[in-house]
Amino acid sequence: MNAVFRATVLHMRSVAPYRTQFLLVLALMVVLDLRSPTGLMVATAVILAPYLAVQPFQIADKADLTTLYAVLPVTRRAVLLAYYAWAVVVYLGALIVGTALSYVAARVEGDAFGGGQLTTLLTMSWALFAVNVAVQFPLLIRFGYTRVNVLATILPIALIMLAAYKLHLTIDAGQVWLPLLGVAGAAVLVISATLTAHVFRHPE
Amino acid sequence: MPETPAFALRGVNCAVGNGFALRDVGFELPTGYVMGLIGANGAGKTTTIRCLLGMRGIDSGEIELLGRRVPGSVSLRQDVGVVLDHTYFVGEWRLAEVERTLRPFYDRWDGARYRQLLDEFGLDPKARVKNLSRGMAMKLMIAVALSHRARLLVFDEPTSGLDPVARAELVGIIGDFLLDEGHSVLFSTHITADLDRIGDFVTLIHDGRVVDTGPKDEILDAYRVVRGGPDELTDLIGVELIGARRSPAGVEALVRTDEAGLLDGRVLVEAPTLEEIAIHIGLSSARPALRTRTRGAAA
Amino acid sequence: MRVVLSNSSGIPLYQQIKEQVGAAVLTGELAEGEALPSVRALARDLRISIITTTRAYAELAAEGFISTVPGKGAYVLPLDSALVREQLLRQVEEGLQTALDAARRAGLGRDDVVRILDGLLDSEYEHA
Repeated sequence: MNAVFRATVLHMRSVAPYRTQFLLVLALMVVLDLRSPTGLMVATAVILAPYLAVQPFQIADKADLTTLYAVLPVTRRAVLLAYYAWAVVVYLGALIVGTALSYVAARVEGDAFGGGQLTTLLTMSWALFAVNVAVQFPLLIRFGYTRVNVLATILPIALIMLAAYKLHLTIDAGQVWLPLLGVAGAAVLVISATLTAHVFRHPE
Repeated sequence: MPETPAFALRGVNCAVGNGFALRDVGFELPTGYVMGLIGANGAGKTTTIRCLLGMRGIDSGEIELLGRRVPGSVSLRQDVGVVLDHTYFVGEWRLAEVERTLRPFYDRWDGARYRQLLDEFGLDPKARVKNLSRGMAMKLMIAVALSHRARLLVFDEPTSGLDPVARAELVGIIGDFLLDEGHSVLFSTHITADLDRIGDFVTLIHDGRVVDTGPKDEILDAYRVVRGGPDELTDLIGVELIGARRSPAGVEALVRTDEAGLLDGRVLVEAPTLEEIAIHIGLSSARPALRTRTRGAAA
Repeated sequence: MRVVLSNSSGIPLYQQIKEQVGAAVLTGELAEGEALPSVRALARDLRISIITTTRAYAELAAEGFISTVPGKGAYVLPLDSALVREQLLRQVEEGLQTALDAARRAGLGRDDVVRILDGLLDSEYEHA
């Protein structure tokens, strides 16, 4: 297909050799949070997904892939947009895995699963993930992975999400706002991607 | 000689972070030949190459690569192979994976040729990039470039850290590549022995400026090494000593051939090697006077 | 084609190639019509610059030893061309001059030299 697709596959291939490591992270979360189906889902969507989303930056720094991107017949714009495409793919992947695991966990525990609570969690996690990526990626693109403290940007958002979840603040109160939240997440992501691809379109 | 040069830089200025810069850099390579870009570390070789490849923006001037403007369409990169002193692939990739990853980007990728080259270069498709030696890593980058049918190979310091056998192999690979008249090679180096034989053209760069550029033999003819006693080669009129090195035993410097006739008959005047030219130009703290050497019609 | 280059002779590389190929043509080692490697193949094989081999071939062509076909290669021209004949004449003269110099140092007279030359010519034509 087009250049962004090819660049997304390239990001995927750079991350691929480290898959065992990511599976270990996932396994760790399963072990830690198996008691609570919803907790498990939140964990995959809010911790695993952002962690995976920044991997192309880390590997690019380590293996001088910025040079590869400048040597390959692919525009810088496509490479930048592909970072975002990769993030969305990762989020969807984490979501599917998280939901599936949560479902299994719910069955095992005999808990109820689905309905309003599920929708709320999914929308919340999406919005937070989107904000997270929209803030992080321009920084990572501008300064590189080694010079940006990824934890510093992930942690506050992850903590808000966890706090909200633990305090059951959002489950019912947020219902009205959910559609807006979902759209806002997508919008923030699109704006960040568009701006980044424009501002950083020239090399160095 | 074909009309379109392999590349040409004209009046290129480039400011780099901490004040370093390229100033009015201009030189070109006719298609079908090898050029060596010679200069000390920090002279601006890598910056020049990065500007040429469009990996770095320039502040003013003009760059033409394979007949097209830089920066321009990325499709130009279909025709250019880049070999650095380190790989720019994921260390965990196996060499077969390198192909699978890069292939979709190139219109003319030739998988059979890639496998054949790996075999020829003694590279195992199952080996991982991170486990390659310096020489093998260089060959991998060359194999990639040749597999997408690059017409211009650009090497940045290809021979630094290579053992003599690998350097000799590189010379052979470049010779094979140049059998096609449409192929050209640029390489930067501070080891001039590599160039003494296979280089057709030479560009000397010092402190961000081009000191001299042209066919290698003309450059060699343009300078002389002079050596004299401790008291000699002082108060010269009409002769500029380039990068003079004085010691209690004597003095050694570079002069332009057309000025060498003005020297006292007692000093020793000899034809220089590229290395001697590079050393003395590197030693000259003030930038050498940029006088336009009368350039014969290129080759 | 045999070309052996010296790095320390002080003679430019193109000159060495030119002399060796020229000599091979004159001795008949390279026969008329024989194909020579292309400029680029020779540069690769000798590991020298293309400009150097181009120059050697250009001068060989100018002296009538070879003919170059752009993009293809070069082949050996027939020996009887006027330029080559001139080359050979010059070699004969140079050789005889060397002989005369030696004769003078040895104190040989004109008759001695002529007798030696006659002797050489006789044995040369007996064998032929």
